[in-house]
Amino acid sequence: MMTGMERFGALMSGGTPDRVPIVCNLLDQGARELGLSILEYYSRGEHVAEGQLRMREKYGYDTLTGMFYSALEAEVMGCRNIIYADDGPPNVGHLVINAPRDIKRLHVPDDLNEHPRFRELTTCIGLLKKEAQGRFPVLGVVTASFSLPAMLMGVGPWMELFLNGDPALRDELLETCSLFCSRQIAALREAGADLIVYVDPLASATFIQLKKFRELALPWIIRDLEAHGPAGVIFFNGGGRINPILADIREHAGIGAYYLNPYDDITEARALLGSNSLIAGTINDIRLIDWSPDEIEREVEKIMLAGKRAGGFIFGTLLMPCGIPEENIRALVAAAIRHGHHAESVVCR
Amino acid sequence: MSEGIDKQILDSYLTALFDTDKAGALRVVQEALDGGLTPEQVVFEVIIPGMERMIGGMISDNLVTLSQHFLASQIAEEVTDRLIPLFATVPEVQGHVVIGTSHGDFHGLGKKIVIGCLKARMFQVTDLGINVAPEKFVDQALEVGAEVIGISSMMVHTATGERGPKRVRQLLREQGLEDRLRIIVGGAPYRFHENLFREVGADAWGDTAAEVPGIVARLVREVRS
Ligand code: B12
Repeated sequence: MMTGMERFGALMSGGTPDRVPIVCNLLDQGARELGLSILEYYSRGEHVAEGQLRMREKYGYDTLTGMFYSALEAEVMGCRNIIYADDGPPNVGHLVINAPRDIKRLHVPDDLNEHPRFRELTTCIGLLKKEAQGRFPVLGVVTASFSLPAMLMGVGPWMELFLNGDPALRDELLETCSLFCSRQIAALREAGADLIVYVDPLASATFIQLKKFRELALPWIIRDLEAHGPAGVIFFNGGGRINPILADIREHAGIGAYYLNPYDDITEARALLGSNSLIAGTINDIRLIDWSPDEIEREVEKIMLAGKRAGGFIFGTLLMPCGIPEENIRALVAAAIRHGHHAESVVCR
Repeated sequence: MSEGIDKQILDSYLTALFDTDKAGALRVVQEALDGGLTPEQVVFEVIIPGMERMIGGMISDNLVTLSQHFLASQIAEEVTDRLIPLFATVPEVQGHVVIGTSHGDFHGLGKKIVIGCLKARMFQVTDLGINVAPEKFVDQALEVGAEVIGISSMMVHTATGERGPKRVRQLLREQGLEDRLRIIVGGAPYRFHENLFREVGADAWGDTAAEVPGIVARLVREVRS
C-alpha cells in the first residue's frame, strides 16, 4: 500500500497511484478531538498539529491541513478582533480598512513570524512535517491577493473598489496583499508545507465575469506566484465555481493542480485543462451533514467515476462544517477508498 | 415613449449591469429620465426588469455573478429611493419584511443585496443589522407589523445553530405567531443544500437576491389570506 505522499508523488510525476488520494479538510473538528474550546485550540500550534494528526489517523485520508482559519491572515495584517464560536470557524470581527488612508497604512511585516499567531501556525506546520515523516503531504493554505481584501475591508466595499473605484487605490491595496501573499507562501514552505493551497474565491466565476477575471484578477495570480513559482501550488476554488477560468490560469500562471467546486463538472475541467494538470474533484460537503451513508456512497462513486475517467485525479472536500457527524466522515473516507482504486490495481489484487 | 426606445434603454441598462459598470448604468437611468420617461417607467420598466433578468441567467448559459447581483441591487436601491418620492401616486406597499443576519454572523452583504431588490419591488424593509438575536427578529417583526422575517447566514453553524432560524421558529410557535409571520432564509450554505431551509425551520429560502421579491410576495399573500 502506498502512503499519501507516494500517491501525490505518483500523480505529480504523471503516474497512477494505487488509488485516488483523498483530501479531507477538517479544521475546527480538531478542537473536539482534543476536548478543547475552539479558542483554546487555536491558541497553540501544538494543539492544532495534534488535532490534525489525530483526525488523519482516525479517518485515514491522505493529507494534513496546516491551516487554522482564514481570518488569521487578517490578524497578521492588523485585524484586532476575532469572533469565536463554539461550533464553527473563527471570523474577522474588525475591519482593518475603513477609509482610503487605511490602505496606505497597511504594513506587511518582513518576517511574518514576528506575529505571535502566525508563529503558532508555522510551529504547527513544522510539527506536522516532522510527525508526518514524509508519509503525508502537509498543505499550507494562503488567500490570494485578489481575495484577501474581502477580509480587510468587507466583501461589499472591496467589490465596489475593484469594480467601480479608484484604480490606483485598488492597485495599491493589491500590491500590498500580493506582497503579503508571496511572503506567506515562502514562510509556509520554509516551515515545512509540501504543497500550497492558493485560495481565490473572489476570482471565481461565482463572483466575477470572465472578462473582469482576465482584466482584474488573473494578473494578480501571476504576480502572487512570481517569486515562488507555480510548482507545488494548488489553485483552490474557495467555494466559487472555477471551470470558466481554468484554461486562462493554466496558460498564464502555469499552475499544475486545480481544486474544483462541487458544481464544476470534472469531465469539462479535464477538457479545459488538457492532460497535464491535476484535478481535485470535490464533494458538496455541506450535504454530508444529513446525507445517509448510502447517499454518500453513491455521491462518492459518481465523483470517482468521473475523476478516474479524467485521470490525474484527487478526491477532496471544501471546508467541512462541524455539523457533519463522525459516522458520515467515516462513510465518506471508506467510500472514497473503495471507489478510488484504479482498475489496474484492482486487477492486480 | 415608443416600445423601441424602451427596449433600447433596457438593453443598454442590461449591458451596463452585465459589465458591472455602475457609472454606465446610472447614466442610462439619467438619460431615460432626461428623455422623458417617468420615474415609474424607469423603476418598473428598466430597474426591475434589469434585476429580474438575473434570475436564470442574464444572457442565456451565463452564470450570473455575485458582483452583478451586488451592482443591480445597489443601483435599484439608490434609484428607487430617489425616484419613489417623484411618483405621481404613492406606490402600494407590497408587504413588510424585517431582515438581519443570524446570531454570530457578521456578514451583511447578502442581506444588503436582498434589501435593494425588495425595495425596488415596493416592499417595506426594516434592516435589523448583523448578529441579530432570535428574540429581536420576532419582537421587531411584531413592532413594525411585518409579515415576513428574513434571516441571512454565511456559514453553516450560523445557519443551523441553536440561536439562528431554528430558535426564531420556536419563538413563533411558542407565541402562537406562526399564522402571522413567515420565515425566509438565505445565504451561502443554503446554496449548497437546497433542503437546509426546512431543517432550520424556515418557510422558504432564496437562492439569489433577485428571486427574493417573488418568494416574499407569495409569503405575504399566505399571511394575508
Ligand atoms: C468569498 C468567500 C470567502 C472570502 C471572503 C469572505 C468574507 N465575507 O469575508 C474568503 C476567502 C476570505 C473566505 C473566508 C472564509 N470562508 Co468563505 N466563502 C466565500 C464564498 C465563495 C462567497 C461568500 C460571499 O461573500 N458571498 C457574497 C454574498 C453576497 O453572497 P451570499 O451570502 O450567498 O448572498 C446571496 C444569496 O445567498 C442570497 N441571500 C443572502 N442572504 C439572504 C437572506 C435571505 C433572507 C434570502 C432570501 C436570500 C439571501 O442573496 C445574495 C445575492 O444573490 C462562499 C461560497 C459561495 N459560493 O457562496 C464561501 C463560504 C461562505 N466560506 C466558507 C467558510 C467556511 C469560510 C471561512 C470561515 C473559512 C475558515 N475556516 O476560516 C472563512 C471566514 C472568513 C472571515 N470572514 O473571517 C463556507 C461556509 C460554509 C461552512 N463550511 O460553514 C462557504 C460556503 C464555502 C464552502 N462551501 O465551504 N470566504
